[in-house]
Amino acid sequence: MRSSFRPLVLVAAAAALTLTGCGFSGTQATQPSAAADTSQRIVVDNFRAPVANWAIESDAAYILSLSGCLETLTTFNQAEGKVLPSLATEWKQTSPLDWDFSIRQGVRFQDGTDVTAESVVSALNHVLDAKVPARAFNRTMISSVTAVDGQTVRVSTPAENPLVPYRLASVNTGIMAPAAYKPEGLDPFGHCTGPFTPVSEKAKQSLTLDRNENYWGGDVQLAGAEVRFITNGPTRAAQVQTGESDISLSIPVASLAGLKADDGVTVLGADSPRTATMYMNNGRAPLDNVEVRKAVREALDLDALAASVYEGAALPATGPFAPSEPWAGGKQDKQQQDIEEARKLLAGAGYTADRPLEIIAIVERAEFADVAAVVQENLKNIGIPVTITSKEYASAEPDVLAGNYDMLLSQRNRLIDIADPIGFLTADYTCKGTYNLSHFCDPEYDRIIADAAKTVDTTERYKLYAKAGQILQDKAVNAWLVNEQATDAIRTNVLGYVQDPLSRYVLTAKTAKAAS
Amino acid sequence: MLQFITKRTATLVAAVVVSSFAVFLIPYFTPGDPVRKIIRSRVAGDAIDDASVQRLSESLGLNDPLAVQYLRWLGDFFSGDMGLSFVSRTPVVEQVLPALSVTFSLVAMALVLAAAVSLPLGIISGLRPGSGADKAITAVTQALIAMPEYWVAPVLVLVFALKLSVLPTAGWNDLSSAVLPALTLALRPISFFTSAVRAGIVDAAAAEHVPAARARGLSHGQAILRHVVPNGLVPLSTLFAVWFAGLLGGSVIVEVIFAVPGMGRLLFDAVVNSDIPLAQGGVVVVVALAVGVTTLADFVHRFLSRTVGGTLA
Repeated sequence: MRSSFRPLVLVAAAAALTLTGCGFSGTQATQPSAAADTSQRIVVDNFRAPVANWAIESDAAYILSLSGCLETLTTFNQAEGKVLPSLATEWKQTSPLDWDFSIRQGVRFQDGTDVTAESVVSALNHVLDAKVPARAFNRTMISSVTAVDGQTVRVSTPAENPLVPYRLASVNTGIMAPAAYKPEGLDPFGHCTGPFTPVSEKAKQSLTLDRNENYWGGDVQLAGAEVRFITNGPTRAAQVQTGESDISLSIPVASLAGLKADDGVTVLGADSPRTATMYMNNGRAPLDNVEVRKAVREALDLDALAASVYEGAALPATGPFAPSEPWAGGKQDKQQQDIEEARKLLAGAGYTADRPLEIIAIVERAEFADVAAVVQENLKNIGIPVTITSKEYASAEPDVLAGNYDMLLSQRNRLIDIADPIGFLTADYTCKGTYNLSHFCDPEYDRIIADAAKTVDTTERYKLYAKAGQILQDKAVNAWLVNEQATDAIRTNVLGYVQDPLSRYVLTAKTAKAAS
Repeated sequence: MLQFITKRTATLVAAVVVSSFAVFLIPYFTPGDPVRKIIRSRVAGDAIDDASVQRLSESLGLNDPLAVQYLRWLGDFFSGDMGLSFVSRTPVVEQVLPALSVTFSLVAMALVLAAAVSLPLGIISGLRPGSGADKAITAVTQALIAMPEYWVAPVLVLVFALKLSVLPTAGWNDLSSAVLPALTLALRPISFFTSAVRAGIVDAAAAEHVPAARARGLSHGQAILRHVVPNGLVPLSTLFAVWFAGLLGGSVIVEVIFAVPGMGRLLFDAVVNSDIPLAQGGVVVVVALAVGVTTLADFVHRFLSRTVGGTLA
C-alpha cells in the first residue's frame, strides 16, 4: 500500500521519532542567541474560524485565548502538569462544596476598567446562563458563582469537586469586561485582559491585535499580531513556508516532509490527547465476549498501520492514554501483532464466523477508510470476515449510541473540556456514561472513577486513572490504534514560542520575533 | 417584451420558493440530528447532552411542525427579513451580502480572464479549422477540462507562491491575492468558451453572407471582422451567463483552498451545520441572481443576434 510514498514515509518516520521525545508537555522553540525586536508584528495561521459570533461558550474562546486576548482565572501548564495562577492569585477549598478564588489586584481590562470580584462573577454567570453551556463549566457541575468580597469569588458545586481550579483554566471561562456582554453577542474588542487587544476583524478571514501597553503580566515583546483563519491544512503549511505566516498550527501529515526540509522553518510536535480508536460494541455478540475482543486486538499490526496510513506521523498506541500523559501509568507496552495467540483466543471463545462484522469508518477523518482496510486485512488473517461502511459521524451516531453496530473507527479528545481526563473517562466508559459508545459496564471501574472524581490530591487521582485505564486494557474494551501528534510549524526567527497541543496558548507576552 | 418579463418574474418567484424549500428540507432528510449538528458547529466534540439539544430546539422553534417552520420563514422573507443564523445568531443578510460581494468579484474576474484568453484562441482556431494551430489549441483547452480545481490550485500555489514567490498563497486582501483563485476558476471556462467561440466562428465563416460581403467589395479581413467574428461571439454571451450563475455558489473548493470568504464556503458550511436560515438565505440570493443573469444574457443574446444579423436567431 502506498509504496510510492516510501521516501516520504521514511522522512516522516524520522520526524516522528524526533517528535516522540517532545512528550505531552509540548515543545519549546528557543533561540537564545537572537534578540527580540519589539517593533515586529507576527502572523499566526489558525485551523479554525469563529462561527458563533465570538460566543464565549463556543470554540471561539480558543481563538481569543490563543490570540493573547482572553485570560482565565487559572491556567494549566503542560510542562509542569499543574494549574497555575493567572487572573486569580490563589484559591482554596473553603468547604466540601465551595472554592474561593482571590482575584489579582491591579489588573485592568483593556477598556481601562478594573477587574473585580463583581466583574468576574458577572462573566462566569454569563457562561453558566448560555443556552448551550460550555462542557467545562455549566450548571450540572457548578451551582453558583458569587462575590465574597471585592477581591474574592466563590464557586460552589452541587457535589464535592476537586477539579474546580482545572475548570477555571478552561478557555470558556475567560473573563471579559462587563461592557463586552451585549444583547447582540460578545464584543471582545478592547474588553480582554491579555497581552494583545483585538483592534479589527475581517469576517471569516482574520483578527488583528495590537500590543496591550498596560498588560499586568510584564512587557509584551511584539507590536501586534494577525491571527488568520485558514481551515485548509496545506494552505497553512504553504504560508509558513513562504513566510506569509510566522506560526502555522496543526500541520497535516502530507506537508511535514516539505517543511522539515525548509531551513527557514522549525517543525514542532507533541503528543496530542487524541487516540485513533476502534470502538467495539461490548454489548452485542460476538464482541460481548472479552476473548473475541482480545483476539481482535492481538490481530492488529499497529506498527504497519502507523507507518503506512499515518506515514509515521502517529505512534502505535499503548492503551487508552498516550504514554507521556501523567495518568498513563507505568506499564506502557506496545501492542504487538500475534496471529497465533489471536486464533487461540478465538477458538477458546467458540467464535464462529456466522456473519461478517461491520466496521464503520467515519468520513470526517479521511484516513479511516485506509485504516479500515488494514484492519479488515488483519482480521481476515484470523478468520473474522469484515465489511466496511463509510458514514458521516452524524449518521452513524444514533445507531452507535443505541448499540446497533459492531465496530466504529473514531477518535476522541480526552482533554476536550479540562486538562484532566475525568470527563472523558466518565462519559465514555462508566455504566451510565452519556457517551459510552462501547456499551461497556464494570462496577469496579465505576467505583474507581467515582473515587477519582472526589480525590483532591493530583498524584493519587492520576493513580486511580491509571488503574481505570488498566481495567479498560484488561477487558480489551476497545482497540486503541495510534496516538496522534499535534504538529505546528514556526519560522526560525520566532522566539519564545511554547507549543500547546490543544492550541489554547499561542501568543503570550513572551512571544517575540528577531529582527528581520 | 412584457410577456417575457412577466414569465421571468414568475420563474424567479417559483425558483425562490422551490429552492428555499429544498434547502429547508435537507437537514431533515439527511442522516443525523440537525440540532446536534448546530451544536457541534459551535463546539467541537462528540458528547452532547440531551438537555442542551432540547433547549436549543425549543429556542430555535425546531419543535414546530415542518410546514409551520417553512411558512414562518417564507413570510419573514417576503417581508424583507432573512432571519438569524442558527449558528452565529446574527442576521443572515449580514453574512450573505459580504460573501456574495466576494464571490461576485472572484467569478467576474475569472470569467473575464477566461473570455480574454478564449476569444483569440477560439477565433484563431475557428478561422483555420483542422490546422496545426487549431489542433494544438483544441488539445490544450480540452485538457483543461480534465484538471480538477483541487489539483490545479495546489500546483499554482507551488509554482507562483512557493517557487517563484510572486503571489500570495491565500487570502482575500488585494488584487494579487485574487490572481490564483481567479486563474484556477478560469481554466474550465476557458475550455468551454474556446470551444464555443471556435464553433461559432466556423459556422459564421461558412454562412452565405460572407461571400456576399466579399462580392460587395470587402477584403477578406474586413469580411471576417464585420461578419464572422461578431457572429462567432454570440454564443459566448449565454455561456458566460450560465457559468457566472453556476460559479456563484459552486466555487467552494477554490474558496476553501485559497481561504476566500465567499458564497461557496458559506453555503457549504451552512448545509453541513444545518444552519437552515443561512443556507436558505444564501441559496435564494444565488438562485435569484442566476435567474437575473440568465435573463440579462437572453436579452444580450437577442440584441446581438439582431444587431449582427447573423445566423443565430
